[in-house]
Amino acid sequence: MVPLARKTLVYEWRRFLPSLFAVAFSGLLLLVQAALVLGIFESAAVYITRSGGDLWVGHPGTQSIELGRPIPNDTEIRLRMDPAVARVEPFIWIDGDWRGPSDRGGLSVFVSGVDTRADAMVFADVLPATLRAMLDEPDSVIVDRADLAKLGLGIGGRAVVNGHRVRIVGVANGLRALGGVNIVASLETARRLDNDHGGTEVAYYVVRLRDGADADAVRARLQPTTATKRYEVWTRGAFAHRAVTYWMFGTGAGLGVVLLALVVFCVGAIITSQTLMGAVAGSIREYATLHALGVAFGDLRRVVLQQAGWVGAAGLAVGGVLTAIVIVLAKHHDVPVQLDAITVAACAALVMGIALVSGLAAVRALRHADPAMLLR
Amino acid sequence: MPALVAESLDKSFVTGTVRTDVLRGLSIEIEAGELTLVSGPSGCGKSTLLAILSGLLKPDAGRAIALGEDLARLSPIELERFRLHHTGFVFQGFNLFPALDALEQVALPLGYLGLDDATARARARRALEEVGLGNRLALRPAELSGGEKQRVAIARALAKEPQLLFADEPTSALDAANGQIVIDTLHRIAKTHGATVLCVSHDPRLVAHADRVLAMEDGRILADSRAEPAAAGRG
Repeated sequence: MVPLARKTLVYEWRRFLPSLFAVAFSGLLLLVQAALVLGIFESAAVYITRSGGDLWVGHPGTQSIELGRPIPNDTEIRLRMDPAVARVEPFIWIDGDWRGPSDRGGLSVFVSGVDTRADAMVFADVLPATLRAMLDEPDSVIVDRADLAKLGLGIGGRAVVNGHRVRIVGVANGLRALGGVNIVASLETARRLDNDHGGTEVAYYVVRLRDGADADAVRARLQPTTATKRYEVWTRGAFAHRAVTYWMFGTGAGLGVVLLALVVFCVGAIITSQTLMGAVAGSIREYATLHALGVAFGDLRRVVLQQAGWVGAAGLAVGGVLTAIVIVLAKHHDVPVQLDAITVAACAALVMGIALVSGLAAVRALRHADPAMLLR
Repeated sequence: MPALVAESLDKSFVTGTVRTDVLRGLSIEIEAGELTLVSGPSGCGKSTLLAILSGLLKPDAGRAIALGEDLARLSPIELERFRLHHTGFVFQGFNLFPALDALEQVALPLGYLGLDDATARARARRALEEVGLGNRLALRPAELSGGEKQRVAIARALAKEPQLLFADEPTSALDAANGQIVIDTLHRIAKTHGATVLCVSHDPRLVAHADRVLAMEDGRILADSRAEPAAAGRG
């Protein structure tokens, strides 16, 4: 069979270029938007996903990690009593008022107090053992590299948090999260910085289970059954998911994403279909001739849809390359971006959907391929 | 049995409130193996007659019978299939796809007939050689002259090996020499392939090459004349 769709596409590429760009930019917009949103909202769960441990224990109903409230100290004892629990690590989470260089004013920060042992679970992926050990020095803190500019300080810089002096002893990558600057300190330093609770309470306990223990079963066992719970237990994955969901849907951002995707889809489809219709209209006499020669409408329709499919595939390829470039640039500048296979597949499906819908719209232009018009 | 039969065809078009009768009770029989020319001034209804006899248009009244089939009885799908297997068309505009070379233009409809690539290409090459374009197979429309383009269009119709070949003003866009080649080719197709060639034209140069000339005016056949055997055999 003579590949009419492909040959026409290659020969008359100028005619199809606008639709290819429309598809490519739709793909770019969808992918970059998804990458940014995922990147930003994954950072809501960054403390959970970049820490070890199997269970998180916190204030009942806590929706996202930065909303942590103190829980009773005797919780630790209750957790340790379960035979499946191998280790319990406290995680202090307090709000802080940061005063750095005088020209910067004050900043709201979150202070995380973490275990400084080499095999600690909290921030296991973010803080290597040597960096973590630096926190043993009293009043030392670590910040994210990307936050240095915001704080107006470098390594060795001094500031005041909640009225207590601290010193930046190192920087890490991956501590950037939603809601504010994150300062990591040792448990002892964090307690000193906590004026409200006298440094006796923690916000979370991270629990590591013994090998072979069923996290769900242990969670169910540790979960208080009384009507007024004093703490709540989540598996690590569930707690991370809670945080992402809270930001994605609790803030209305998720709906915004869906709406924007819808707009991108419509605009992409309108531009692409107009161009494809123009291409069909430009060849309408040739199509009519084929129809006169007995080529069925269904076969002509297939030619147009094939063209739409090729435009979609080519646009997707161009959009994919552009997205890759944008992602690399974003990562280079510490912009939180994240893409997973499912999201890429969904965006690709949406882009091919744009091409297909446009093709179906362009097929309507074939109605004018009436051979009788050639006889006037 | 005649290849094409028109029985009391009526056809009118309505433009706004104005109704124009294009065909008025027209009856005619057209034989196979001949080049039949329908001539007349523009607007006399000759293209409408061709459209009805080829199944592209339905008459208001009367019957159009092609190869023994009453075209009005066929569904749109059956009509497509009938045209695919039995008819070829040559239009005034050449209507070639700019992206395809001559061989592909001709092979394209053959693919829809169900022929495999090799057979379609071989048949397309034969048809192009028959119209004298054996050395132009790889050229696109932009690289062909008007006469060559029309010969590609004829080859496209011919390669299907149709029993019915319809041509609408095939020479009006061509100069004398190319018009001559085109009409000779159509005539030869009628003779050597035994096809029924129905040609509609107001080009007086064609009259001398037709086996039979139907003169039309105001939706009726005014005269039906057969060429002298010697004259028709020329070409």
